[in-house]
Amino acid sequence: MNETRAVATLSVFVVGILAGIVVHTFVDKGPVESPYPQLPKVEEPRAAHDVIAAIGADDARTLSRLVDSTMLTDLDMALQPITDVRGTRFVGAVESEGRLLSAYVVTGKTTEGIDFVVGFVLRVTNDQVVGVN
Amino acid sequence: MLVGMFAGFVIASAVGVFIQDSGMFGASGESPIARAYMLGLLQRDPNSIVGIRPNQSIAQRAAELQGADTSRTSTSIQPLSLTYIGGASVGTYSVHIYAIGLRNSQGVDQFFPLALTVSGGKVIRSE
Repeated sequence: MNETRAVATLSVFVVGILAGIVVHTFVDKGPVESPYPQLPKVEEPRAAHDVIAAIGADDARTLSRLVDSTMLTDLDMALQPITDVRGTRFVGAVESEGRLLSAYVVTGKTTEGIDFVVGFVLRVTNDQVVGVN
Repeated sequence: MLVGMFAGFVIASAVGVFIQDSGMFGASGESPIARAYMLGLLQRDPNSIVGIRPNQSIAQRAAELQGADTSRTSTSIQPLSLTYIGGASVGTYSVHIYAIGLRNSQGVDQFFPLALTVSGGKVIRSE
């Protein structure tokens, strides 16, 4: 008798879980349709890869050789509030009329030790990094 | 039954977020909030994004509406493309990066990125 009761209770719980999943599919709507066209993704440019590798390796000397002082200032601002980089990840790149945008996500810790994530983009033209956004 | 429904809803939400962020099963990882914010920007409609960004004073909101009205009537900025490049999440923070193509009133094409930081259902940083 007790077993029957336990099975019945468990069944009701499982049915509840399934009902919750069904309700979620109706409630959770994806992004709204964009009326604008999307550009195709391209491979990560070599020059941008070298810059992000230096950041990931905490290699300030190599980074100083790869980008000029203006870009270093922009990079510093883009990484705020992260002061201790723990990881870098290439998320994608797109190209329009020879102008390439290579996007990265950097995870790390702020000065207060809080985990944070920032995203920034390296602009590449003629196989050279020409800007940071 | 109610407890089961609640658990199912939470599980489905968690799995959905994981799939979105990881890009599994063809999911782009794009946040609906980030998409809505970008469309509001490109359509110069501050009203449509008022609920998904940090609260502003009435003066700031009025100034923004003035700017949007001016840009709609005096210039002809034409959005050419909106591409979601990618993003990632850490804890309650997520970052979503877009590439925007525009043609300005002088007919010059511009191509630039925008990174949005989303937390607590709002865009807290845009750069």
